[in-house]
Amino acid sequence: MKERLSKLYAKDGTKTVLSSIISIIIGMVVGSIIIVIVGACTSSLGINSVGEGIQLVFGGLFSTGRDAAGNLTFGFNSTNLGNMLFRAFPLIMTGLSVAIAQKTGLFNIGAPGQYLMGTAATLYVALSIPTSTSTLYEGGTVPSWLVWVLAFLAGMLAGAIWGAIPGLVKAYLNINEVLACIMCNWIAANLVTWVFDGSALRNTLESGKTGYIYKTSYNDVATAKLGLDKIFPDSQVNGGIVIAIVIAILIYILMSKTTLGYQLKACGSNRHAARYAGISDKRNIVLSMAIAGALAGTGAALYYLSGNTEFFWSTYQSLPDAGFNGIPVALLAANNPIGVIFTAMFMSMLDICGLQLTNLTAYNEYITDVIIAVIVYLSAFSLVIKQMLTTRKKHKDEPAAAAASASDAAPPTGDDTEPDAAPPTGDDTEPEAAVQQTVKGDD
Amino acid sequence: MVDLIQKTLLYAVPLMIVALAGVFAERSGIINLALEGIMIFGAFVGVWFVRVVQEWGWFAEAKANGDWLALQGFELLAMLVSAILGAVFSLLLSFASVNLKADQTIGGTALNLMAPALVLFLIRILANQSTLYMAEGDAASWFMIKKSTLGIDSSTELNPILEILINKVYLATYVCILLFVILSILLYKTRFGLRLRSCGENPQAADSLGINVYRMRYAGTTISGALAGLGGFVYALTTAGCSANGDVAGFGFLALAVMIFGNWKPLNIAGAALLFGLFKYIAASYSSIEVLSNLGISSYFYRLLPYLVTLIVLAFTSKKSRAPKAEGIPYDKGQR
Amino acid sequence: MKTVQPDNVIEMLHITKEFPGIIANDDITLQLRRGEVHALLGENGAGKSTLMSVLFGLYQPEKGVIKKNGQEVKINDPNDATALGIGMVHQHFKLIEVFTVLDNIILGAETTKLGFLQKKEARKKVEAISEKYGLKVDLDARVEDITVGMQQRVEILKMLYRDNEILIFDEPTAVLTPQEIDELLVTMRAFADEGKSILFISHKLNEIMTVADRVTVLRKGKCIGTVNTKDTDKQSLSNMMVGRPVQLEVVKDEAKPTDTVLHVENLTVPSTTHKRNAVNGVSFDVRAGEIVCIAGIDGNGQSELVYGLTGLEKSSGGTVTLCGKDISHATIRQRGENMSHIPEDRHKHGLILDFTLEQNMVLQRFQEPQFQHFGFINAPAVREYSDRLIEQYDVRSGQGSITTARSMSGGNQQKAIIARELDRDKPLIMAVQPTRGLDVGAIEYIHGQLVAARDRGHAILLISLELDEVMSLSDRILVMYEGEIVGELDPKKTDVQELGLYMAGAKRQSGKEARGA
Repeated sequence: MKERLSKLYAKDGTKTVLSSIISIIIGMVVGSIIIVIVGACTSSLGINSVGEGIQLVFGGLFSTGRDAAGNLTFGFNSTNLGNMLFRAFPLIMTGLSVAIAQKTGLFNIGAPGQYLMGTAATLYVALSIPTSTSTLYEGGTVPSWLVWVLAFLAGMLAGAIWGAIPGLVKAYLNINEVLACIMCNWIAANLVTWVFDGSALRNTLESGKTGYIYKTSYNDVATAKLGLDKIFPDSQVNGGIVIAIVIAILIYILMSKTTLGYQLKACGSNRHAARYAGISDKRNIVLSMAIAGALAGTGAALYYLSGNTEFFWSTYQSLPDAGFNGIPVALLAANNPIGVIFTAMFMSMLDICGLQLTNLTAYNEYITDVIIAVIVYLSAFSLVIKQMLTTRKKHKDEPAAAAASASDAAPPTGDDTEPDAAPPTGDDTEPEAAVQQTVKGDD
Repeated sequence: MVDLIQKTLLYAVPLMIVALAGVFAERSGIINLALEGIMIFGAFVGVWFVRVVQEWGWFAEAKANGDWLALQGFELLAMLVSAILGAVFSLLLSFASVNLKADQTIGGTALNLMAPALVLFLIRILANQSTLYMAEGDAASWFMIKKSTLGIDSSTELNPILEILINKVYLATYVCILLFVILSILLYKTRFGLRLRSCGENPQAADSLGINVYRMRYAGTTISGALAGLGGFVYALTTAGCSANGDVAGFGFLALAVMIFGNWKPLNIAGAALLFGLFKYIAASYSSIEVLSNLGISSYFYRLLPYLVTLIVLAFTSKKSRAPKAEGIPYDKGQR
Repeated sequence: MKTVQPDNVIEMLHITKEFPGIIANDDITLQLRRGEVHALLGENGAGKSTLMSVLFGLYQPEKGVIKKNGQEVKINDPNDATALGIGMVHQHFKLIEVFTVLDNIILGAETTKLGFLQKKEARKKVEAISEKYGLKVDLDARVEDITVGMQQRVEILKMLYRDNEILIFDEPTAVLTPQEIDELLVTMRAFADEGKSILFISHKLNEIMTVADRVTVLRKGKCIGTVNTKDTDKQSLSNMMVGRPVQLEVVKDEAKPTDTVLHVENLTVPSTTHKRNAVNGVSFDVRAGEIVCIAGIDGNGQSELVYGLTGLEKSSGGTVTLCGKDISHATIRQRGENMSHIPEDRHKHGLILDFTLEQNMVLQRFQEPQFQHFGFINAPAVREYSDRLIEQYDVRSGQGSITTARSMSGGNQQKAIIARELDRDKPLIMAVQPTRGLDVGAIEYIHGQLVAARDRGHAILLISLELDEVMSLSDRILVMYEGEIVGELDPKKTDVQELGLYMAGAKRQSGKEARGA
C-alpha cells in the first residue's frame, strides 16, 4: 500500500515538474525569438550578436566574459554561482510568501509592499541601534549579533503587519485581496520613502551614494558568511541562503504535518466546508496573509542584512522586483515549499543571465523579465498542460484504468450515481467539480 | 478653479475609459486584471507611433504651417493605433482564459509583468534610454489645443466655462468622453450589449439560447483591451507630455477600483472617476494648492492618498457591490 | 393519438452518447408523436437529461440519428434546435437573474433595428401569448424577485415566444407545490391538444400516469421500453425503472421519544438576499428517539433554519437550546459538540474535494487529542480511524483512505459524510436532504442508517423536499412556509394532498397547534 502511495505521489509530482519544465522551456524559447526579431529589425545588431544573446540567455550562468578576440567564453564561474545563491534567498522567501497564501486560496500580489516594509523596518533597526563595533556611532554598547537578530525580527514583523492588512479587509469586508494588495503596495512605496526622506540614515559618507541608505555593515551588522565566501570567492553569498532553506523546510513541515497547516489548506480548498467544520475561515485568512507577509519581510531582512547591499530610498514610483518575482517562483513550484527553493534558484539564475546580457551585449536585462512574464502566463494554464500530460499517459494505461474503475463501480449496492455526477445532466450542483471527477477518477 | 477642473478631468477621463474597459471584460465574464499592463503597452505603442511618424516627417509641414487640424488628425491616428495594439495584446488574455480556461487572475498578472518588461526592453533597444519621448517637441506644442491655436489672442479673458472647455485641452479628452457615451449605449440598448451582459451573468443560459459565449467573451475582452490601450496612450499624452517609461503607477488598478466603486455601471463609474481624478490631481499638484502646501505635510502623504482612499472606499462599498455573477469562472461548453 | 398511422414528429434512433468512463446513453430509441405527451422515466443518472441534451443540441451523440418529420436532421447547437421548433424548460432554469422577465424572454431571439433592441413589438407578442394560455407574469420585474413558479412560466414563455412545436420539460415539477403541479399538468395537456408535442422528463409515477400518453423508460443508460400509460400501472413502471421490485415503504418501529434534545424558541434568521427574514419566529422541539421532518417547497427558509441552528448564519432573534445549553450565540465549533450535521450540499459544505478521504473523515475532529500531538497531526491515528469508518459504513473508493474525495462517486461521497457524522455520536443529528440525487440502493441504505440512529436514542431533525421521504421516514412533520412553521402533522394521519396545502400556504394551523407541543 505504502509503495503504491509513493508511486502515485511520484506520478502526480512528475507531472507537475514536467509542466513547469515545459513552461520554462517555452518561456526561454520566446525570449530567444524576441532576441532574433529585435536583432533582425535593428541594424546595429548583427546576426552574431543574436547568437550571443541566445547563448547568454541559456548559459549566462557559466559565462566568463570575452576573450582577447572578442568571443564569448564559458566555463565554471564561482562568482556567478555564488551570486545566484545570493539572489535566490529573497526570492525563496517571497516565493514561499506567495505559495502559502495560494494554499489558503489567496493571491498574494502584495509581496512587493510587504518586502518594502520589511526592508524599511530592518534597515531602521539595524542602523539605529549603535553596536559596540559600529563605524557610524561612537560609544555603542549593544553586541552586533543582537542588533542583527532584532533587525531580522523587525523585518519579519513589519512584513507580517503589512500582509495582515489585506487579509483583514478580505476576511471582514470581503474586498478582493488582489486590489487590496496592490493598493497596499503603493501605500508602502510612498510610506517607506516618507520614512527615509530627511532621515539620518541616508548615506552621506560616500560620494555618489546620496540616494541610498547606509549599508548595514557601517553599523557592523551583517549576516555571517559561514565559509560560503571561501567556496564562492568574489561573490556576495552569505549564510542567508542557509536560513532561507531552513525556513522553506519549516514551512513545508508547517503545511503538511501540523493542524495549523491542515486548517489553512482546508480554508484554501473549500472555505464553506471549513466553516461548516467549525474552522474559522476569517481567522485563517488573516493568519495566512500575516505569515505570507512575514515571509516576504524576512526575505527583505535577509537581503539587506547582508551588509553589502544598498537600498535606494526614493522608491515611491517603483516596487521591488523581488516581490513580484515571488509569483513565478511559487507558480513554477506548484506552491510546494521545497520546490520553491529550486525555482527561486532558477529565477536568480535568469537574473544573472540578464546581467551578463547587459554587460556583454547590446541587449539588456529586461529580456529576462519578459521570459519570466511568459513563464507566469504559461503557469496560468499549467493545469491544462498537466491535463494534456495526463491524457497522453491515459491512452497507454487505459485497459488497466478501465478494469480498476469497473471493480470500483461494480459493488452490488448499485451505487451508480457516477453517471449522474460525471456528465452535466444538471442534477449536480457543482458541475465544475463533477467533470474533474471524471477526469481524475480514472487515474 | 479652472486648473482644478481641467486637471481633474485630465486624470478622470482616462480613468473612466479604462474603468469602462474593465466593465466590458467583466460583463462578458472575464476578469481583466491586465488593465494596468495593457495601459503600459498602449502608452508605449502610441508614443512610439508618434515618434516614428515624426521621424518620417509626415506631419512636419503641418506643424511648420500651424495646421492644427492635421495635427489633431495625427493625434487621433496615434489613439487608433494604441487601441488596436491594445486589443491585440489583450488577445493573450482572451486566449488563456477563454480557450484554455486558465486562471484569469494569474493570466492578467502575467500580462502585467510582461508589458513593462517588454516595453522597457524595447525602449532600451529603440531609444537607448529609459523613457521614450517624442522625436521632437512635446505634447503641448504639437497636440494641445490652446486659445492661440483657435486664433483667439491668448491674453483675451474668456468666460470661465469656455476657458475650461477650449483652452489648454486635448482633443483626446473629448473623444474619450464621446466614446464612453457611445459604448454605454451599446452596452444597454443593443442586441450585442444584451447578449454580452448575459454571458457575464449566466453563460449556461446564454449558451442554451444559442449565444456563442466564447465569441462574446472574446468581444468583451477585445473591446476592453482596445479601451485600455487607448486609455494608456491618452494618459501618457495628457499627463506625461506624451512619453512612456513602462509604468502607469497603478493607474490600471485604480480603474478597477473605480469600476467596483461604480458598481459596474457606466454612470456611477463616471462619477467615481471624477472623485478619483480629484485625488490624483491633489497628489500631482498639491504644492501649487496653497491650502495644502501650507499644511506642511509630506508630499508622500498626498502621493499615497489616492491608494488609501481607494482602499477605504472599497471597504465601504464592497458589501453593497454586485459583480457580474459568472465573472472569473471559465466557461466550459462541455459542462452544461 | 387520433390518427391511425403514428405520426412521428421527432425520432431519436439508436442514440449512443459516451462520456469519459461512462456510457450515458446506450443505443436509445425514442419516437415522439404529434400531439402527444410522452414521458421519459428513469432514476437519477439513468441518462434522461443527457438524451434531452442531445436532442437540444447541447451534446453530439457518438452514434445514432435524429429525424424530424421523417427527415434526418443534424442538431449542432441550440440554434439548430430552435430552428427545428424544439424548446426546452431546463431543470435548473436558464435565466439571467438580474435581467427583467421581458429581457429574458427575448434574449437570443431579439427583434432589432440597426442592432438596437425593439422591445415594444416583443412586448406585444409576449403579452398575447401570456393572455392566450393564462401564463401570468410581470414583464418588467427582475427574475431574481419573482417566485420559482413564475420563473417557470418565464421559461415556458421563452419556448412559446420562439414558436416552438416540440416542448421538452426536464423535471419541471420538482420545485412546485402539489397545486402548482396540477396547473402545470393541465397546461401541458392543453399544449398537446393544440397539436404541440411534449416530452416530459420525470421520475414521479403519479404525474406520469396523470398526464402522459406514452412512457419510455430508461435504466442505467439503456432503453428498457416504451409503453402506453393506459396499458400499465405504477408498480410495473417502477419495476421497469429500477430493475427489481422496489420496497416503497421504510420499515421502522413506533418511535419511543424520551427527553427533549433540541429546543428552538422564536428563532429568526435574516435573509442574505431579501429584506425580509428567511426564518421568522420559528419554535419547535426535537426529542431523543424520534425523527422530526421539516417539509416544505424549496426556498421557504429550510436552509436558513439549518444555518441558524448550526451557526453558519447568525440568527437575529430567539433562542436555541441544545442538551440543556443555550447555544444561540455559540460558535460553530461549540455547537458541533452536541450536533452532527449532514449538509444539504455535499460539495459545498460536506467535503473538501481536494482532500483525501481520511483528511475529510477528521474534518471536525483533527484537533482532538487522539489525532494530534502539540499541533502535529497524528497521521497513523487518522489513518486507523478512517480505515475503520470505511470498513464499518462500506464506503467504496479507489484507494481507501488516501483516495481524493473528488474522485469518488456521489453516493459514496454521501456515505462518507454519513459515516463521519454518525460516528461522531452526537445527541442531535441534523440531516438535510440526505438522499438528494442518489439512486434507490443508496437511498434505502441511508434511510436504514437514520432509523437505526433513531432507535439508538439520537434525536433526528430531517429536512427534505421529497414528499415520499417525508411521509415514510418521519415520526412528526413540521411544514415550513415563507419562513414560518405553519403546521404540525402526523404522517400516519395525513396524506400528500393535505401536506401540499400546508406547503403552498393555503392552509395553516394556529400558533399553538403548530408549536409541536
